[in-house]
Amino acid sequence: MQQYKMEMNDKLILVENLALSYWHNNVGVHSVKDLLTLRKNPFTLKPILHDVSFELDKGQSLGILGRNGSGKSTLLRAIAGIIKPQKGRVVVNGSIAPILAIGAGLELELTGFENIKLLLALYGQSKNMAEQINDICIFSELSHEVLNMAAKCYSAGMLARLAFSISLANDCDILIIDEVLAVGDKGFQEKCVQKIYELKSLGKTIIFVSHFPDEVEKLCDKALLLENGTIINQGNVNTICNQYRQLF
Amino acid sequence: MQIIARLYALSKRNVILRYKNSLVGFLWGFIKPLIYLLIFIVIFSAQFITVSNYVLYVTSGLIFWFFFSNLTAQSVQNIISSAGLIKAVRMPLILLPLSELLSELFNFLLTLMVYFVVMYWFGMQYSARLFLLLPCIVLFSCFSFGITLVLSSVNVFLRDVGILWNTIQPALFYLTPIAYPASMIPERFVFIIRYNPIYYFIQLVRTVLYESSALSWTIWIQCATLAMLSLSVGLFLFHKLKNQFIAAI
Repeated sequence: MQQYKMEMNDKLILVENLALSYWHNNVGVHSVKDLLTLRKNPFTLKPILHDVSFELDKGQSLGILGRNGSGKSTLLRAIAGIIKPQKGRVVVNGSIAPILAIGAGLELELTGFENIKLLLALYGQSKNMAEQINDICIFSELSHEVLNMAAKCYSAGMLARLAFSISLANDCDILIIDEVLAVGDKGFQEKCVQKIYELKSLGKTIIFVSHFPDEVEKLCDKALLLENGTIINQGNVNTICNQYRQLF
Repeated sequence: MQIIARLYALSKRNVILRYKNSLVGFLWGFIKPLIYLLIFIVIFSAQFITVSNYVLYVTSGLIFWFFFSNLTAQSVQNIISSAGLIKAVRMPLILLPLSELLSELFNFLLTLMVYFVVMYWFGMQYSARLFLLLPCIVLFSCFSFGITLVLSSVNVFLRDVGILWNTIQPALFYLTPIAYPASMIPERFVFIIRYNPIYYFIQLVRTVLYESSALSWTIWIQCATLAMLSLSVGLFLFHKLKNQFIAAI
């Protein structure tokens, strides 16, 4: 245990031999015969990630690149502690802000304010609730009238504004962004990018999944390239981004 | 502390969602059994003259049945409909079904208050015995929660479970002596209620709300055993399956 602590001293995130697999459901009308004869197991394990290892120092930012379905979102969830690794370990030495993904956790039937209160309570608050709600209103630029409407009436851009603002409400060491910057109007996109750079300059770590290698190059210090659930290369951000560009 | 805040927020969400855009809101908890009662009176009443104070007999069973049926019917979909939260927020997943239980309990307690007032005109006796309802509710909640855990977790992988449950619920209702006295069941079908766990709880409730005969320990022990059994099976299954929820929603 002592040694383990020493090793973690300056590392913020340590992922070692992480493996994750999902149950793949084969059940369906076509397989009733299979079910009855018990020839085929109705559930098979489908590996999503295998043997993923990397580490990240404090203040470094990481870009994650890869094709659709290569396991990027799953890796993010494993880092955030939402999924337990089946093999290997994930150690995080700091607090993580909720994952920024499109519409993350928003309940469409509830109003904006109800969503804010629900998610703040679920994420755990570090500050005063009223103050946080005020911050969210200001940052999202959504009027009180809009926030009193059910979220199902919102446009994709408004949902993104709300989700982004709620995720940023807490002070956390690590910010995880899962390709969300594409929605929202130009003004809000720029505001978000500006906010992300501001957080980075404050020494926060940013884990950034994107399909735009140019943005990754600007923001990140390190990058890794995922393919079929394994890291095929990691290290210098420019090398990885060039490799990603050559994939297509 | 944080767990309580989360549980409160989730339960509040359920309560808000349930009666959104509804005119009478929580009063439905009481109106629903009343409508059923009227139906029974119209259809059955002449048959069951033998049951004294039929209204009290039926409603005492009905409000508990509806607690069970609302809770299980809603939480069958619970995990699936919370997909967005499960994928985005790190939290103990047991909080989701637990919040369903709490919001249904809240609903139930409101119903119970209305019930206590209205039943005055139907000859309910107010005595210290009514406090025994509290352990009844605890035991029945444990039992219902166990069933809820099984249904909500298995339904994630096999959606047939939800459909099947909603289909057999009315059958389960009529197989439980709620609208009719248990003594009406012919000898050769008695085994059906003997193996119906809900019957034991309805009986337990009636010893508190309806009958005034001496209390027996047997029924309490039977119900406690059933509650523990259901709860432990539910918790076991839920913990086995919870890590794979995210794969199927």
